[in-house]
Formats: sequence, C-alpha cells, structure tokens
Amino acid sequence: MSKYLDLSIKEIHELLVKKEITPLDLVEEALKRIEDNKDLNAFITINDKVREEAKDLGEVDPDNIFFGIPIAVKDNIVTKDLRTTCASHILDNFIPIYDATVVKKLKEAKMLIIGKANMDEFAMGSTSETSYFGAPLNPHDKKCVSGGSSGGSAVSVAGGLVPLALGSDTGGSIRQPASYTGIVGMKPTYGRVSRYGLVAFASSLDQIGPMTRTVYENAALLNILVGEDEMDLTSVKKEKEDFTRFIGEDIKGMKIALPKYFISDIVDEEISNKVKEVISFLQENGAVVDVVDMRYLDTAVNLYQIIAMAEASSNLARFDGIRYGFRASDVDDVDSMYTKTRGEGFGDEVKRRIMVGSYILSGENAKVYYDKALMVRDDITKEFNRIFKNYDLIIGPTTTRVAPMLGITKDDPHKAFMDDVLVIPVNMAGLPGLSVPVGINSEGMPIGLHIIGKSFDEATIYRLASFIEEVL
Amino acid sequence: MDKLSREEVLHVAHLARISLTEEEIEKFRGELKVLMDDIDKIKNVKDVDDEIMYTPIDFNARLRDDVVGAMLSAKDATLNAPAKNGSFIEVPVMINE
Repeated sequence: MSKYLDLSIKEIHELLVKKEITPLDLVEEALKRIEDNKDLNAFITINDKVREEAKDLGEVDPDNIFFGIPIAVKDNIVTKDLRTTCASHILDNFIPIYDATVVKKLKEAKMLIIGKANMDEFAMGSTSETSYFGAPLNPHDKKCVSGGSSGGSAVSVAGGLVPLALGSDTGGSIRQPASYTGIVGMKPTYGRVSRYGLVAFASSLDQIGPMTRTVYENAALLNILVGEDEMDLTSVKKEKEDFTRFIGEDIKGMKIALPKYFISDIVDEEISNKVKEVISFLQENGAVVDVVDMRYLDTAVNLYQIIAMAEASSNLARFDGIRYGFRASDVDDVDSMYTKTRGEGFGDEVKRRIMVGSYILSGENAKVYYDKALMVRDDITKEFNRIFKNYDLIIGPTTTRVAPMLGITKDDPHKAFMDDVLVIPVNMAGLPGLSVPVGINSEGMPIGLHIIGKSFDEATIYRLASFIEEVL
Repeated sequence: MDKLSREEVLHVAHLARISLTEEEIEKFRGELKVLMDDIDKIKNVKDVDDEIMYTPIDFNARLRDDVVGAMLSAKDATLNAPAKNGSFIEVPVMINE
C-alpha cells in the first residue's frame, strides 16, 4: 500500500503537479486507512461519491497546494447531498440541501471530502462519548478518549487517516481534542470564518477551524477558510492576509504572558513541568515570558455553562420533527409530537443542556443568570485586553490532564465541562487560540501548549507555534 | 446527594418540550441538580461591571437588499420531512372542529 498521505501537503502537491500520482491514489489510500482502522470510529459517514470526484480531477492541473487532498469534515458542518447527523439520532437520516460556506471553499480549492467525522452529539461534550454512533478512540491509546467535541476530526488526523480536518470550537472543541491526540488545532477569532452551514450550538461562541499535523498546514488551510460572508452576519470583513507569513521567523523580543491560573494546582504536575520546560526554552531563545495575574479566569466554566446552555436551548428548538430529521411515531397531537420526538431523538447530555438552558432563559431567570454571565463575559474580555496591551501572546497548557480513559466522565454533568477549563476563556472573549503538541507524558500520551493571540492576530500565534514545533 | 423534586424536573422538561420516561425523571433529578448548583455560582461573582457583552465582535447590522433571490424548490424544502404528501409536510391534526 502506498504511503503518500504520510508526506507533507507540499510534497504531495509536487507529486500531483508532476503527475506521478493522482487524486484518486490519495483517496484510495485514505479509504484503505479508514477501513483498516475502523475500530477508531473516526467517521460517521463516508462520502460514497469521493472516488468519482477524485476521478473528475484526474485531468485537471493542480492550481493550489490543497488540490486533490482528502479532508475530514466534522459532522455538524452541512454538506450538500452527504448525510450530516451532528452525531444525533434526531438527524441520523438528514441529507442537507446546501453546502456550508467553508465546504464551498474546500470544493473551490478542489479538496476531496472523504467523509463526516464523529463528534459529541450536537458538539455537546468533551470526550466525543455523547455521540449516538459511539465514541472515537484515541490512536495513542485506544482505551483513552479522543477529546471532544471534534474527536473524530482529531482522530482522523492523528491516526493518519487523512492529513487535514475541519472541527468546530464552542468551548475548546478543536483545541482540547488536538491536545489529547497530539495534533495542531486552531480556533480562529470569532467572525474570522463564516458559520453559515455550521449547525448552531451556541451562536455567540461557535467557530470553525482547521485541525492538522503541522503548524504550516494549519495556517495554509486557514488561508482558504476565512472571509466575510453575506450569509453570516457575524463574519467580519478583513484585508486578505497570508497566515503562513511569519512561519520560520525567530521569537526574539516576543512578549508572552503566562497567567498564574494556567499553572495552578488544577493542572497535572507532569503537564505543568512540560510547560515550564517550554517557557525556559522560549526565554533562552530571546522571548520575554512573565507570569501575570488575570482575574475572572476561574469564572469561565460557569459563564460557559450559562451562555452555551441558554443559546443551545434556543438553537435546538428547531428540532421539532416537522421539517427534517426523526419524528416519533404514535403521537396524538402536535404537542406530543414535539415532546416525544425530542425525548426519543436527543441523547442525555443534550437533554440536560436544553432543559437547564430553557430554565436559564425562563422569566426572571434570564436576568439572574444570562445577563449576569454576559456582564462577567465583558469583564473577562476587558481583562484579556488589559494583558494584551503589554504582551503579544498568552500561553499555558491546553488541558489540565492528558486524555483520560473512556467512561470516566460519561454521565457526569459537571466533569464534562471541567475538561475545558483552560480553553473556555478564549471563546468568551472571541479570541484566536491554538494547541500545538509539545511532547508526551510518562505514559506516552500527548501534551499540548495553548497559545492565545490578540483578536484577528492568528499570524503571530502561528509564528510562535512553528518555532516551538521546529525545535522541540 | 441533593436532588431536584420530580415536579421540578417535569417543569424544566416542559420548558424544553422534552418527554421523559420514569427512569429518566429519576436519573435527571440528581444530574440536573448538579448543573443547577453550577449555574448558581454566577450569583457569587463580585465586582462586576454592568456592561453586557452579547457577542465578541462589534458588528454593524448589515442588511441584504430587499429583492427576490433564490428560493427553495418544493422538492428540496420537503426532502427531509419525516411525513409528507406531495409537496406538503404532514403533521398531526392541529385544529379540531
């Protein structure tokens, strides 16, 4: 069996340009790898037209480095004529009638969508165990979770099934599984990438981003995902920029903040030590790293619970058994159709969040909980801005521990949120954040470093991440 | 462990339009209490400005021109409907005579 997919995207591109290989060779290899690693459960649906699509590219000259490259797309991003389930029973036969804007962009670059990646149901969870289709497994230790909610996307890349994947990040759902599986995952600035066609979970937090093997490939993929979109009012118009432009530069004079909270006793000792090692290395190479106090970081999980559950309860009201998806049988009237469809269609995690979210938004509770959370959200954002007046980047570990064993957090409503304690603050402020692998622990499980940038300054994040990747 | 009452669980399930089995009601009594205790912690956050942040970016509401654009065909609009009759979506009887 060929091993073209182990090459870098640039190397694959050269082979495609020289016509030494075809897109179909890449697709056959990816499909074989997916079949051989079926136990990883990385995909919910394989695109059964992908061979034909690859053949159609056979006579076309490659016009960009992603031409003909297979990619996994998280199953909450809609793909025309290709089943999109959100890992939920309520959508398990849903065939979208349009492409998400990011999917259109992948197709414009003539990338090949190999299939739809497994995930937590409606992206609600931190281990991907809430999937109706069973949990994806961590390729580093199949007894461990992949992280979540973009677990299938992470596994598809970390397991070598495809070189690239798209994930979505509402409270760490790209960065945390990237850290657990040892790959690079970027949550771009809120507004950077169109959310049109991303099945909404918490609209003021959700953002689509790239998950890749290397920093360069991550930045290059972000290049094609970004842009204002008239179909998403929250997408932002920005000058076109090349996110790879600082890759390979040194870090002399770079000013980096390390909030005390990120190395406090909530973090596993081995991870803290690894982060400290990285910091020494950065200092030796001319960066200034200061430990700083940051207020409100410890409130972020609480804010996330309130804001995400409230917005989810509103967004998921659309699943009523009328226009699409599953409808319960044996219903007497419209009310029982709604309640039975939702009762039988949603899994436990989704039910819990919608119920508490509905409570949060009911009557006076909206002021007590939702409005108060939005006030603290404003404070946490101002706190980030205060730090960024003096620093270029903020760093810390991506997670407090390495990937835990399967089953540990399942059905524990509190722990499901605590896995994301270090990554959630970034979503509150809408900032860009990236996880880059910095090594393994004593049991061989990956550790990720979390790099947070100023709003719309993804390029500086990639500069530091590429430096670390190159030398560590 | 503290639990919500059966009535409290049924109340939030009603707000969310979700039917629960007897087994689920019992299970969620404990699990929802954990989450309710979590969200209550927001009340203890002190020293908060009263400025509200709905979204992380400042954006001006952009409106598209009010012109007829592409529309869904009846076939596409009903493609995923779980019950349909021709180009109509079927639902249970909504108005009794």
